[in-house]
Amino acid sequence: MKFIEDIGVALLTLLSNVGKFILFIAFFFKYLFNPKFYFKNNIRYFIYIFISSIPIIALTGIFSGMVLALQSYTGFSRFSAESAIPNIVVLTLTRELGPVLTGLMISARVGSSIAAEIATMRVTEQIDALKTLNTNYYNFLVTPRVLSLTLALPIFVTLVDFIGVMGGYIVSVHRLGFNDNLYLLNTIEFLSLGDYLSGIFKALAFGFIISIVSCYCGLFSGKGAFGVGSATTNAVVISSILILSSNYFLTELFF
Amino acid sequence: MKIEIKNLKKRFDDNFVLKDISLTIKKNKSTVILGQSGCGKSVLLKTIYKLFSFDSGSILYDGKSEVDIDKFSMLFQYGALFDSLKISENIAFTDFINDKTNFNKKVISLMNDVGLDKSIFDKYPSEISGGMKKRVAFARALYKNPKVIFLDEPTTGLDPINSDKINELILKVIKKRKITVVTITHDIKSAIKTGDHYYFIDKGIIQDKGDCKRILETKDKVFKSFIIGADIKQL
Repeated sequence: MKFIEDIGVALLTLLSNVGKFILFIAFFFKYLFNPKFYFKNNIRYFIYIFISSIPIIALTGIFSGMVLALQSYTGFSRFSAESAIPNIVVLTLTRELGPVLTGLMISARVGSSIAAEIATMRVTEQIDALKTLNTNYYNFLVTPRVLSLTLALPIFVTLVDFIGVMGGYIVSVHRLGFNDNLYLLNTIEFLSLGDYLSGIFKALAFGFIISIVSCYCGLFSGKGAFGVGSATTNAVVISSILILSSNYFLTELFF
Repeated sequence: MKIEIKNLKKRFDDNFVLKDISLTIKKNKSTVILGQSGCGKSVLLKTIYKLFSFDSGSILYDGKSEVDIDKFSMLFQYGALFDSLKISENIAFTDFINDKTNFNKKVISLMNDVGLDKSIFDKYPSEISGGMKKRVAFARALYKNPKVIFLDEPTTGLDPINSDKINELILKVIKKRKITVVTITHDIKSAIKTGDHYYFIDKGIIQDKGDCKRILETKDKVFKSFIIGADIKQL
């Protein structure tokens, strides 16, 4: 009997949290530009996210492209189809690996920092202080983070795509002996705008998921150091799961 | 501003934190609310500030149930300064986030009022001491010229010398600005020095009340045990 009761409690808690999260998203849209849009605060946060993420983005791109070229060669050389490597590298990066890997890395880098920062603000009464200063915390905390990350992720993905293709180029030309001009020509000719845009659309969706989940986990964190730690872990885990699962449905959309 | 609280009840789930609170905060006077940790002092303060809702009872602000909370300010227990903003931006927070730039003169004047040196103007909260943080938080609370200022444990975590400096600061503010001050504390020395009237809360009800200058003459055994820090059975 206790077992069934426990399942019931867990299910009700889950449903209650899903409901709270949906309401949170609704409030985000309600307060997006209302009652106040702090323009400078939004710009400042965008610049902070952008600068702090560039190194990790560059590393993700270069190594993904290099590994992709090597692994593709291993498989395609068995069918004497090595010439398809530039096409595979650019297609895999723009449509799939670029947005997903960037999403996961940014979730670990930025999502965790958003959740930890807001949870610490909750624990140290800074959220209450905002209310006493007549400041809507959606406008001041949530909007800049969600807007910045949603708009920054497509730029990050574009960078990862470009750096990744360059990584594939370096390995293919200098390690696998490809003709450099031919490699670049194959890459450019094969890539269509639709391939690139499908990745960008995914990036927009992943940016929104990471930021809104991280803000939610931070704002509704538990008390003390354990609460901050749990909020950070939850933000990364939930964002990652949502990125991977929504990736399938978004891929179906552009299939 | 005069604040009258009648039969206030507030609970979290099944736990009644405030069971039946009735008290009056007199205009331009310093009211001190005393009580043990966890007795509901902070909840009461945040309920008066309208940060929390309540289950039953009433709170009247100059006879009305509605109030513009912009007339209130609060000094939080640990300052609650925004870590990512400079000291000057913290003090002038409302102007700073509204992209106003001409707040430097007012900030420096307030820093002077609360005894802060100009050298910390561009520093971050992590770069200053606990006592300084309290003063910065005090300056932030005064920035919008409130009618009522709520002080949540203003001397907690400070050494006796810094505690006394904060007490002096509270007295200076009361004298200079003529505002209503509501302080919650368990620091008896601070209550005697800075308060006019006190209310002692125990287990969600008002256990004792009176004049702050006569706190030590209380006849209430529960309050007495709180003052001397002994178990009530030992009295």
